[in-house]
Amino acid sequence: MPSPDKTERQWQTLLAGDEESWESAPSSLKARLYSALIRSQQETGPLASLDVSVADGHDVCVFEKLVQIAPVGDAAKSPFFCTACHARILAEHFDNPPIFWAHCPYVQFKA
Amino acid sequence: METESAIKTTETLPSHQERQLVEQVLSKDRKATAEFVAFCTDSVYSFVRKRLLPRVELVEDVMQEILLAAWQSLPKFRRDASLRSWILAIARHKVDDYYRRRLRETDITEEGELSAEPAIEPLLDRHLDAAAEQDRVERTLALLPEAYTLALIWRYRDEKSVREMAQLSGKTEKAMERLLARARESFRKEWTLAQS
Repeated sequence: MPSPDKTERQWQTLLAGDEESWESAPSSLKARLYSALIRSQQETGPLASLDVSVADGHDVCVFEKLVQIAPVGDAAKSPFFCTACHARILAEHFDNPPIFWAHCPYVQFKA
Repeated sequence: METESAIKTTETLPSHQERQLVEQVLSKDRKATAEFVAFCTDSVYSFVRKRLLPRVELVEDVMQEILLAAWQSLPKFRRDASLRSWILAIARHKVDDYYRRRLRETDITEEGELSAEPAIEPLLDRHLDAAAEQDRVERTLALLPEAYTLALIWRYRDEKSVREMAQLSGKTEKAMERLLARARESFRKEWTLAQS
């Protein structure tokens, strides 16, 4: 009969799991988590204006660009426009969804 | 500013990029938030999934708890550790919470003597390569009652002491020893059955 310590070490070896192996999260999971986090951010006030995102060096999608260049105030540039976009719905329900336009955050999750 | 495509989610971010990302997320920049979600999710997904198997349906809920906790604690992020280590620490804490809750709800009897256990070396099939053995371990764990799987993973994968496990789940050490003994016995049976 082996010593209890040896038995414990053997179980540890058998069940340790392969911590080295790494797996990217499914894109649809990232999409749903992103939408949830944005909703949580909005609970404490509006998001930063799209002007701020652009000034920070981020690219915006074609729909966001239309809003960002419009002669309107910051309040009109702060809503989360993706809420009304079909790309979000596709991305939340399918992995690697057929969305192809540039700079959509939901496209980024496909990478 | 590094663009979104420059962030490789498999690597630790350079500190200047990490600082910039955290500041922008705190200012609720939606684009930075997308990068943050991609980075954090990829950083902890494997860890969480391996600890919740076979209950994969729980992975999303736990991941959401981790992300929301990270967002709420982000103002306190001091950069003593990398963002990846920080988010992993939050994930460990949330997974521990889940284990603690589930084991707390489990009835464990202290009755019966603990008998000496046979060696587990014969369990290990020398012909299996590491990946095949890992796959078989996961499949065997999936066949056990949930409390047994959680106890084995907590003890041997996360290297929690029996005392810690007992304290966190509100059980006695003796009860936890009993649970682990039954879990090992059950694992051994399923493993052997699969072999025959």
